[in-house]
Amino acid sequence: MIAIIDYKAGNIASVKNALERLGQSCVITSKPKEILAADGVIFPGQGRAGPAMLELQKTGIDKVIPQITKPFLGICLGMQLLGEVSEEDRTKCLKIFQGACRKFPPTLKTPHLGWNKVELTRESTLTRDIRNGSYFYFVHSYYVDTSERQIAGKTSYGFEFASIMQKDNFFAVQFHPEKSGEQGLRLFNNFCELC
Amino acid sequence: MLVIPAIDIIDGKCVRLAQGNFSNSTVYGENPIEIAKNFEKQGATFLHIIDLDGARLGYPANAEIILAIAKSVNIPLQVGGGLRLYEQAQKYLENGIEKIILSTVAIENPELFARLLEDFGSQRLVTSVDVRDGKIAIRGWLEESTKTIPALIGALRRAEITSVIVTDISKDGLLEGPNFDLSKKFINAGFQTIVAGGISSLEDAEELNKLGAIGVVVGKAMYEGKINLRKAQERVAYKNNLAKRIIPCLDVKNGRVVKGTHFSNLRDAGDPVELGKRYCEMGADELVFLDIAATLENRKTFCDLVSKIAKEISMPFTVGGGISTIEDIKNLLNAGADKVSIGSAAVQNPNLIKEAAKYFGSQCIVISVDAKKKKQGWKIYIKGGTEETNVDAIEFSKQMEKFGAGELLVNSLDRDGTKKGFDIELLKSIAESVNIPVIASSGAGSMQDFLYVFQKTNVDAALGASIFHYQEVNLIELKKFLFNNNLPIRI
Repeated sequence: MIAIIDYKAGNIASVKNALERLGQSCVITSKPKEILAADGVIFPGQGRAGPAMLELQKTGIDKVIPQITKPFLGICLGMQLLGEVSEEDRTKCLKIFQGACRKFPPTLKTPHLGWNKVELTRESTLTRDIRNGSYFYFVHSYYVDTSERQIAGKTSYGFEFASIMQKDNFFAVQFHPEKSGEQGLRLFNNFCELC
Repeated sequence: MLVIPAIDIIDGKCVRLAQGNFSNSTVYGENPIEIAKNFEKQGATFLHIIDLDGARLGYPANAEIILAIAKSVNIPLQVGGGLRLYEQAQKYLENGIEKIILSTVAIENPELFARLLEDFGSQRLVTSVDVRDGKIAIRGWLEESTKTIPALIGALRRAEITSVIVTDISKDGLLEGPNFDLSKKFINAGFQTIVAGGISSLEDAEELNKLGAIGVVVGKAMYEGKINLRKAQERVAYKNNLAKRIIPCLDVKNGRVVKGTHFSNLRDAGDPVELGKRYCEMGADELVFLDIAATLENRKTFCDLVSKIAKEISMPFTVGGGISTIEDIKNLLNAGADKVSIGSAAVQNPNLIKEAAKYFGSQCIVISVDAKKKKQGWKIYIKGGTEETNVDAIEFSKQMEKFGAGELLVNSLDRDGTKKGFDIELLKSIAESVNIPVIASSGAGSMQDFLYVFQKTNVDAALGASIFHYQEVNLIELKKFLFNNNLPIRI
């Protein structure tokens, strides 16, 4: 059973839809107990960092996430909230990863929206059987500025930014696997096999 | 981002000052021409040359040697120092100097600036903003202006200046890093900003690139070997792999696709889900579903359809048609749509967009811009293109961006259904006026039309309807064709 964390941030039904297409059982929940009992946890999200962190604090999930020892996958805003701080709403985040979430400069069109390539910078079970340079679907205006050693995949939009991060049992992707067709489903499948 | 080596000249020699102090200079070379040639050999694509005597004296004092540099290298130069008169500027601009750097001439002598702008164009004029301890410095950094930075930004904007070089004098020549906050102020105010002063490592250059500077001027760090030009260029090179999107659009009525499609091997060509899936297999980058009979009664049918699509298709899709309230948007997003496209309601009630962007985030708000050419520019039409309004299409697009729209879907009523190609003029004007993604729609008749719209305009995506449904253009072939023509395409 995979828990999809519900913290009132965006289109989480599509994550559930994608997992169900893979035959993976999952539950959308905001209950700490259910989250801790799951075989794996997905932390999706769209929306703003400030209200999202407030919601996590309100439900106590902010304290639960660092305790999770099962495979954990942050998606989009879910990845950004795993960093230390975010420029968006000047938000203190969960500090699972080092790094700060920053806005793309005004010289680039924002949101960064559409299909962009992910260059895999190291081997990871999450990206097994995914060709280097595959396209994934992105929608975001902020990115995580982090140190090289936490990065497992990079994407170029004006400059290179971290599109996949990994540290112990924590994985994070800036793109939306649930919207990235075949490659996205493959990534989800890799994650589910870890759980 | 450009990495621009600096050559400062005093008495015909190449020097560096520390903190703008004329009595604290180091000579790095007797012959600036050789130094310039050497930078060119190292891979420089642009040089920054300052006549320091000129800056101090108030008139160019090393013009001859600077013009000789221009003759000796094959890369463009930007030159400043003591330019106060039209003739001085003209001499440079007509003799091989690409850009001239003016101090606050634009503010102190607006007539002169206007004349230069008129005769040479904004691309050849750069305004130098020199700041020491938070105050603007002028006249070779020897005097201070009383203007504050926000006041200066306002004045530069009013003078229609687009391009600035920002230098924090207190950082210059010290190799302790540039003033990031100061640079950010000008970048975020919308100026094309080159940063000078204090850049001492690759990390400094990288950070300025991330902040959105278009160039960095590097002096001492390069002379002293702390920054390698090629390494720096590689580190801050513009990299972008974002693909151009091709988007089939399906018109839906009572849960069925209208405009019968010509896919022979579909079980049910009228089923939006099956057709959508087929398009995804063929390489569609997104889908749009438009409810063309958007009435209250069939709203529920459409919502049910949206949740069915969301269950079966792992691709992003936008829905539209008759959306006019926050409640409409909420229902469709909850049903699983990624984005909603809003047309007439955005024109009649622009505040809806503000509110929607706040509630749901800009990323899911697409504005359908229906425009038709009139004597004066393009006007917005509403109600499916049947009713003219007095709203200017370009102004409307800008307003929607400001109100939080995440993307614009631009329909040309002049081209719709004509198959004469996309409305390049309209799309170019809109795409250049906003800083959010633009989807081109209306008029595609051939693969060439798609290629053309991506080559001639800065749009991010192109949409087609019957051209795909009737297989006049095959999606797979189209994407291959665009890819083979060197466009970034996902295949």
